[in-house]
Amino acid sequence: MRFRAKIVDLACLNHFSRDIISTIAKLAKTCILRLTLSKLYFILSDKVANGGASMWCELSQGNFFDEFQMEGVAAEHNEIYLEFVPENLWRALKTAQSAKAVKIKLTNKHCPCLRVAVELPSVSSSSRIVTHDIPVGVIPRRMWNDFREPSVPDFDVSIYLPVLKTMKSVVERMKNLSNFIVIEANLSGEMNLKIEADLVSVTTHFKDLGNPPWASEDGCQSSAQGRDLESMAEACIDIKKLQQLLAGQQVNPTKALCNIVHKRIVHFILLHEEVSLQYFIPAIA
Amino acid sequence: CIVQCFLSLAVFGRAIHAIARISDEFWFDPIEKGLALRSVNSSRSAYACVFFSSMFFQHYCCTAVSQPCQKEKQLSLPCKLIIKSVLPVFRCVNVLERNVEKCSISTSPSEHHITFQLLCRHGVVKTYNLTFQECDPLQAVFAKHMCPNVLKVHSRLLADVMIHFPTSQEEITLSVTPMKVCFKSYTEEDTDFSRTMLTEIQLSPEEFDYFQVGVDSEVTFCLKELRGLLALSEAASVPVSVHFDRCGRPIAFSIEDLLLEASFILATLCEAEKEAASPEPACCPQPWDR
Repeated sequence: MRFRAKIVDLACLNHFSRDIISTIAKLAKTCILRLTLSKLYFILSDKVANGGASMWCELSQGNFFDEFQMEGVAAEHNEIYLEFVPENLWRALKTAQSAKAVKIKLTNKHCPCLRVAVELPSVSSSSRIVTHDIPVGVIPRRMWNDFREPSVPDFDVSIYLPVLKTMKSVVERMKNLSNFIVIEANLSGEMNLKIEADLVSVTTHFKDLGNPPWASEDGCQSSAQGRDLESMAEACIDIKKLQQLLAGQQVNPTKALCNIVHKRIVHFILLHEEVSLQYFIPAIA
Repeated sequence: CIVQCFLSLAVFGRAIHAIARISDEFWFDPIEKGLALRSVNSSRSAYACVFFSSMFFQHYCCTAVSQPCQKEKQLSLPCKLIIKSVLPVFRCVNVLERNVEKCSISTSPSEHHITFQLLCRHGVVKTYNLTFQECDPLQAVFAKHMCPNVLKVHSRLLADVMIHFPTSQEEITLSVTPMKVCFKSYTEEDTDFSRTMLTEIQLSPEEFDYFQVGVDSEVTFCLKELRGLLALSEAASVPVSVHFDRCGRPIAFSIEDLLLEASFILATLCEAEKEAASPEPACCPQPWDR
């Protein structure tokens, strides 16, 4: 098993660390990094420890890395699955803003590690080198099935999200009043965010959001088709999880939408040019 | 009775904050030449001394108090102050200089008070009367000139190095050879590597204003205690000198210019020794308190 990668372009480095790694670090304490020849995946599976939330983030390595070499566990399974703490990677990259180059390598000194070596400019002829060893756990082949891409649920309503900055400030204020938030939306582009506390209930209404067109895969009716356009599908979710998702968004995504399965789960999809993020928050019973 | 007014509140405030990292109390020790603030931590593994020469102040007056029963004139004994009571006076150093026009410190031994008075904008006057305890003098003796390894560098470089370590990082190891300098996270034998992120920074000797390595060495010291000195050095724009020897011997970080001198002397751990070190600084035959 081998992995070596290098980023030389500062814009790519900042995009990778500030927009992607910092977001992942906010959403998951530990997560899985899956490496293939062409892509990187950050995966959080829906175990109870995560409060049932799960995440799937996918990006093409070619958009970020100038060099990328990888050899998986075996020829037929040319992939690597590593468990790690994204906050560590964020910390390592955070101070690399003026780096000449960043190299990442899988090593095994005392234990398996991702070694991040940052080459920084210095007044002397030789560069300053900062090395961070981030411990990782290698996930054995037999457990890879636990981390498959989640399928899009059979949703009742799919709707584009409001401007994330607005949604973030609304949710942040609501967080002070309640631990849970109800998201409801219909196929007429209307969404409401509702909280209820002992003394007060607050609802924020959004209109004209638009509903994304989903082509049905095999021509059969999904729950969404033939549905009354005004009828709301709702789910009550942990407000902190929603706030964490919104807090991580530094840049406006190209597309941001959510799929609601009534009283079951909310599936968020945030698409940027080079990276896609899916986040599933289950409804509180 | 001693009265002083500051030239630079920001520097004085940072000095207080730096000393606060060492201990909860500090020694306030005025002498004719200037004002010394000293502190030592409870395990005696860190000692700090900041000395402001009389030129640091717009007005400095330290009069000896003559004791009729003594054979000779004696300056009033140093006194000990609880640092927590002083910190609020200099809480937001950045804001201080903007809002405070003048600051004065005066002591009246008869009343066991030290008075800090801040004359602020808009005619606001803040007066803090802080009680002190008289105590024995505190002084560490550390022969810097006997250290084989000496580095001198602008505080900016050290700050740029320390930024790569988490703020929670307790100890770091400085490793030098004549060819390179390396700061790294401290690890001990039973460190759980599968849970710990390790950071290492390598620098070339050329980055230092002065670089002398007489003996290859690897010393481990407490980073938290040092951060305060770095902030002070930055505020005062004075480069930092590092004097050290082999592991187990103390390491001294100091700054010096016409107006102020500061020394932070920290004990270092020695891998060879089984027990964690709490060594006396070199050449300090007498105990801390006499």
